[in-house]
This record gives sequence, C-alpha cells and structure tokens, in this order.
Amino acid sequence: MKLVIGGAYQGKLAYAKKNCHMEDGWIDGRTCGFDEILSCKGIFCFHEYIKRLLCCAKETRSESSACKDTVFLSFSGSDLIHLEESADQFVKILLEKNHEIVIVSDELGYGIVPIEKQDRIWRETVGRVCTCAAGCADEVVRVVCGIGMKLK
Amino acid sequence: MLHLITGGSGSGKSAFAEGQVLAAGEGRRIYIATMIPYGEEGRQRVERHRKLRREKQFETLECYTNLSKLTLDADSIVLLECMSNLVANEMYEKEGAGEKTVEVVCRGIRQLAEQARHLFIVTNEVFSDGITYDPDTIRYMEYLGQVNRHLASMADRVTEVVYGIPVTVK
Repeated sequence: MKLVIGGAYQGKLAYAKKNCHMEDGWIDGRTCGFDEILSCKGIFCFHEYIKRLLCCAKETRSESSACKDTVFLSFSGSDLIHLEESADQFVKILLEKNHEIVIVSDELGYGIVPIEKQDRIWRETVGRVCTCAAGCADEVVRVVCGIGMKLK
Repeated sequence: MLHLITGGSGSGKSAFAEGQVLAAGEGRRIYIATMIPYGEEGRQRVERHRKLRREKQFETLECYTNLSKLTLDADSIVLLECMSNLVANEMYEKEGAGEKTVEVVCRGIRQLAEQARHLFIVTNEVFSDGITYDPDTIRYMEYLGQVNRHLASMADRVTEVVYGIPVTVK
C-alpha cells in the first residue's frame, strides 16, 4: 500500500502516476462503486470516497437495511468513539483484498473546526483512516507544489 | 525538556505525544486536560482520549484556564493537551484572560516548564483552509498562531505529526 497526501491542487495524482509508473487503473473517489476500491490499482479523491461512504452508511443505518458492499460493513454504526475501530477495520479489509493499492487523498485537518457535525465527523474519519493506512503503508509521500516529500 | 507537538485534526498527535511521555521513562505522569466537554460530542471526544490513556498510568488534572494556578512535582512528566482548546477557553470563558490570552498562556507554560522534568505540549494547525472567517475567529487564529510561535521558540523540540508519522521541525 502507498499513500500520497497533501493539500488540494498540489499535483498529487500527477505525482503518483509518474512515480508509481501507473497511468491507468485509477478510480475516482467521487464516482466509483464502493467495492471497486478492493480491485483497482489506485484511487484518487479518496477523501471524497470516505465522505460518500459515511453519508451512505448513515442512510443505510436509518433504513436498517443491510448493504452488500464489503467495505460498508466496517462503517456501520460508526460514531466518534468507535471511529478508530471502524478505520482499522476498513484498512484491514483493504489490505487483505488489495494490498498493492495506491491511495491519493487530500489532507483535511489543517483548518478551523467545521460548524456542521457531519463535516467534523468526515474530517476526523479521513484523519483516522489515513493514519491507520500510513501505519500499514510501505510508502507515504506528501506532495507540496507538485514536489513529493517522502515521509515513510 | 519542552517538546511541542503539532499537526492537523485526526493526525495522530495525541497518540504520538503519549508515546513520547511513556518513552521519557519513570516519573509522575500528569495529563493536563483543557477541553471543556460540551454536549454529547464533547463527551465522546473526552471519552476517546481517556480510553487512549487508560492503563498508561496518567493522573488527569483538568485546567480550563489559567495554567499558573497549577503546581507540579519536580519528577513530573507532563502532557498538556491542547492549545487550541486552552486559547479558546482563555478568550471566551468568563474567567478567561480575554485580550491578554497570549501573554497568560505563555506565562503559564513557562512556569510549568520550570517545574516539570519533561513537558510535552500538543497544539493544532488550524491555519490552512483558506477560508476568511468572521473577525472573532480570525482573532482566535491570530492568538493561537502567536502562542504556537512563542512555544516553538521556547521548545527544545518541535514535531509535526502527519497521519501518525513524526516530522521533525526543530
């Protein structure tokens, strides 16, 4: 697993494509199916993927209907206390099924605490998932102005 | 020794800071908590942090404003968390320092650093979302930024934690 992080519009995806020698096989976190993450070579806009996952998990909970997507299971019933366990479980599933994946994500945590609760949970979840992923990853790179700094 | 630990929200700063305290050896482990647990979400955040500290043998001191009122033993290994809460408390709570926030916070920390064997301070990067906030929030960011700069100049070490990975700043 590789993790490429940084602020928005820093050239993270271009960096990842070039340095991982991977032009194709990417999925877009804003539009992909949830389980596609288990078979793709790489995902970009991963933070948006997490947002959709949280949003969908919330709806699924309120309708109390089971969702067939594997990755979903890890986020059912997630709240702030159990966030870390959910994040760990999510990354564990990802590693089991797709341990070569390259994840490209915005770093969201460098601002004022958001007013909306859902935004706070989203920001925190992206942090916990990425922290767990960084712990498991072979490589973590932070991209600033298109230039990668290898953190791990 | 004074070690300032910074990073974004959900970056693993707290877990890293606790690891640093444990690695600092034997001593009286003190956790200074500054977050006033407002509402259910606040309670959940506090509970999450308590869970992390359980079995690590920390004594918890709650201090929402005016660090100067605390006295510490000379063998204390202290974790003070978090500057973003403390600055907000000093600015907005009734008993807080108001306009003198930066001065009062920095003085309090200098006193703690003189008393304790080791002092680890967790702060927060809230400065990079590009949003222009209301004047009150801007003032908060300004004060927290000033506190961070003062502390970093006082500190022996400054570390930014990025998703659990420590990056040495100083």
